[in-house]
Amino acid sequence: MEKYIQPFVDVCVNVFRDFLGTELETGRPFFVDKNEPHDWDVSTIIGLTGEARGAVVISMKTSLALKLTGILTGSEHKELDDEVVDAIGEIINIIAGNAKRGLEESFRLVISLPTIVRGPGHTIMWPNEQARIICIPFKIFETESFCLSVAIDTGGAS
Amino acid sequence: MSEKTVLVVDDSRIMRNIVKNTFSSMNIPCVFIEASNGREALEQLGKNVVHLVLLDWNMPELSGLDFLKKIRAMDKFKTLPVIMVTSEAARYNVIEALKNGATDYIIKPINEKNFREKLSKITL
Repeated sequence: MEKYIQPFVDVCVNVFRDFLGTELETGRPFFVDKNEPHDWDVSTIIGLTGEARGAVVISMKTSLALKLTGILTGSEHKELDDEVVDAIGEIINIIAGNAKRGLEESFRLVISLPTIVRGPGHTIMWPNEQARIICIPFKIFETESFCLSVAIDTGGAS
Repeated sequence: MSEKTVLVVDDSRIMRNIVKNTFSSMNIPCVFIEASNGREALEQLGKNVVHLVLLDWNMPELSGLDFLKKIRAMDKFKTLPVIMVTSEAARYNVIEALKNGATDYIIKPINEKNFREKLSKITL
């Protein structure tokens, strides 16, 4: 399972540097308890199908979503409006699409269009029982953070 | 050089703006028209003389790849330059797009160097 996570870590760092012009500090990945509450305000989800199944999710506080949107649009945003949804969706889309390249020797994946979930402490229902979810925490802009969660079920292949 | 019409197809409005801004930085005289999916892009091709299509892959209603297959089946669009501009970075995706008639392929995130390099190979 862990070998499938590294491409997501590498791509996330590169995308934030190249697309958003900012450096990330990568934390230690950990397994997520599906029932454990969290305090993120917004999550954007991309489903993975094809030769493996799962999802990749980026979760953050509203303040960070607004900052990232501001970088991409050049304008200030005060709430989670359509443009913020668009921006965070595009960021996770680029991360998932680029991570496919690092996984192509293991399996071929098809990525879905992004879906956004918002609300304090919202719950994500993960697509299958088998896959363990790994969260990779990142620090950004010194005081902000976000989490990239990945679950891949290879149907028994390791 | 006479003004060219560039059709930018992406379901993300932010991304369409980034693509237009990056393209504009090359000082090629052009006007942009936009579409947010493949179906709208087909409508734009029916209404305008387009010289270049910058095409995302994953979009609702009609994907970039399905749009590409449809226009390559039409005689009048067989040679229209279409550059995929997409996050789909796997080699099998690039091969599939090129096999189905994409002129070239740019992986997001985009930059001016990518564009310059790819556009230098095609005649608008």
